[in-house]
Amino acid sequence: MKATVKNGVGVFSPQGFLDGNNSPNLLSVEDIEATIKLNANMILVSLKKVVFFNRNGLDAFVKMFAKVKSKSRATVGFCDYDDKKFHAIVRFYKDELHFCLFQTQEIASLFASSYKNKDADKKILLFSTDKSQSAAMAIELHDNGHNPIIAQTEEEFKIKAKTPDAYDIVIQNTYLGQMGQKVATRVTGNAIIYTVLSFLDAGIGETFDISYHNNSLNVGFRLFIFDAYKVLAMNVHALNFFSKLSSSAAEYNATICFVGLTFEKTPISFKETLEDSGIMFFDKMDDILKNKELLDELGASSVSNIKSKHVLNKVIVSELPNFIDATVSTIEMMTNSKAVKETAKVANISVSDKNDKIASSIGFYGDIDGMIILVFPTEIAKKACELLIGEETDDSDMILDTLAELVNIVGGKVKSLLFEEKINVNITLPRTYQDVDSLLEVIQNKKGVQVDLAFDNDKFIFFLTR
Amino acid sequence: MITKNKIDDFIRKVPPSPRILKVTLAFLNNGELVKAAQIAKEDLALSAYLKDLVNKPIYGFRTQVSEISQIFGILGVAKSQQAVYNYMVTLLSPDKWKLFKLNKSSFHNLQADLTANWQKILAFLEINDKEIENAITLLPASVIVSEALFSEKIDDVNLLRSVNQIDLNSILKRQCGVDLFDICEQIATKWEMDEKVGLIIQASSGVKPAKDETINNLGKWMHLLLFYVLSKPNYVDAGLNDFIDFQIDYAQDVYDDFSRVLEIGN
Repeated sequence: MKATVKNGVGVFSPQGFLDGNNSPNLLSVEDIEATIKLNANMILVSLKKVVFFNRNGLDAFVKMFAKVKSKSRATVGFCDYDDKKFHAIVRFYKDELHFCLFQTQEIASLFASSYKNKDADKKILLFSTDKSQSAAMAIELHDNGHNPIIAQTEEEFKIKAKTPDAYDIVIQNTYLGQMGQKVATRVTGNAIIYTVLSFLDAGIGETFDISYHNNSLNVGFRLFIFDAYKVLAMNVHALNFFSKLSSSAAEYNATICFVGLTFEKTPISFKETLEDSGIMFFDKMDDILKNKELLDELGASSVSNIKSKHVLNKVIVSELPNFIDATVSTIEMMTNSKAVKETAKVANISVSDKNDKIASSIGFYGDIDGMIILVFPTEIAKKACELLIGEETDDSDMILDTLAELVNIVGGKVKSLLFEEKINVNITLPRTYQDVDSLLEVIQNKKGVQVDLAFDNDKFIFFLTR
Repeated sequence: MITKNKIDDFIRKVPPSPRILKVTLAFLNNGELVKAAQIAKEDLALSAYLKDLVNKPIYGFRTQVSEISQIFGILGVAKSQQAVYNYMVTLLSPDKWKLFKLNKSSFHNLQADLTANWQKILAFLEINDKEIENAITLLPASVIVSEALFSEKIDDVNLLRSVNQIDLNSILKRQCGVDLFDICEQIATKWEMDEKVGLIIQASSGVKPAKDETINNLGKWMHLLLFYVLSKPNYVDAGLNDFIDFQIDYAQDVYDDFSRVLEIGN
């Protein structure tokens, strides 16, 4: 059984009956290894479609949690259960509850670092009979930009929960075990923001995802911001870590910044050392993100790879048929329509009519690096995503989310087609753009191969660049 | 991925029930077990199937049963009919399974597991209706249909399911407007099975409740039974556990009785 991954959260969805006989068969050693390699921020097992389980049935998943936590430091736990199932799990593992329990996937997402700042500012009512749990949840939710309100008693909770439209989300039957300790990462425009907390010491080397950082450098990100508002202090081990990080970033002409770091408990000499290694300091995030000139100067107005100045190279061009095949076969698979190539040219991306179009991109890195971009008229995107959406919708967020899934499938196909030719690449998380302008901001004047494609006479654009 | 033409092609290739089976079923229907056995013996594959089936541990016979007349005699009219229908379903199964890790023997086991447990359920519900007993035999056809339609698309299915929790039934429904259970119903019609069989099978999908309360209730039991059986380790290994979506809410209200009948959690 494999996890479905979306927005950095991997979800296993076993079905039916879980007992000691069958649950080890649901998770093979390869499945566990694959889960660790997902490098997700959160790994959940949904019990939504499980009608019966016993402790032996859950044990295989709990063992998987332990392995994932020790290797990747992701937050792990069960979700999507009712009252009866919640109390059964608590009873089974009362002294060994080292994982989390989230009543629903939606509630889990509030605690996932990858969701940070997305749909934030929710008014959340929460209750737990364990006061330390309510406090821990409130702190996490507050950190993630929400407004938690703790009900002190069950009675108060029931009354408040019944108030119509008073809360965006109501949380109960939720338990925070050991939360993930990964450095939270998010992408804003072309800057990557890492959130660091409390005391920075040698542990930063383990909690910071260096491979993600290196891959981001490889695919052309040039501005990395450490959100350090909640850092209390830093020791010399962390100082060395950040100095080295800055030196390696300099090779790519990338910049590392700290925002909100205070030096009350950290020697001021550390700041000088870090500045000498090229790190910049700002008081507020907006000092950077809302200053377009500064962003341009720091290189965050475009994603480009300074190490390799060629727009496209021979290897990528020779693999172009694979990229197009992956796109065409995915669209054909999703729509049951024949997709045809109309024109192809090497140029800056050209979108004749920007109105009512959305786009999605996915990067790949490894033996070759680059980025695939798909631009669709919104209606056509809906058609291409019909299989995944399954219902008529005009919900633009849902359409964009589904388009991200579609481009993820394209990325997966590219990966396997290239692998057949012994070219190893990994793919990044997909990105979506609600309009053409926000796409153009990202790929500013970058040349690439543009292929105009059509299915059922509906046109869309494939663009491959570095 | 899957087109309506491919589905139509599959249904067109479903053979009508062979003459020997038709006659055997007709004799069984009239309670003429000896005549039914005489005819059934003419089909060597059917004979071999029946012998293999009744000697499976789930039937619990202590000694080897080898004579067809003996088999029909032991099974009785309704179970003999079930066995013949189960055989007809195996005629649709592929020589080599690709999508699911099954083979002839494990597919027969699946049929036997479903059939034997369905008998327990019907005994609990005090239902004594040959057609309803036969309905279970069509359920494994949904597995065969999935194999036939999706076996060449394994990579596409896996890729799709790596980003979206979508089951094979939903893929078919969304792409072609018909689902696995519609196709099973069409097979039932082609084989001239009772109308009730198709209705129960449709309800057992968990996504199409029947208007008739009795049929709907049987659909819930069958849906639960399917997932109870598909949760067994060998079927989990075969990749059958998630080929369709388990609709827990649909079947929830019969779960307590179900767990009593099948002694779950004891």
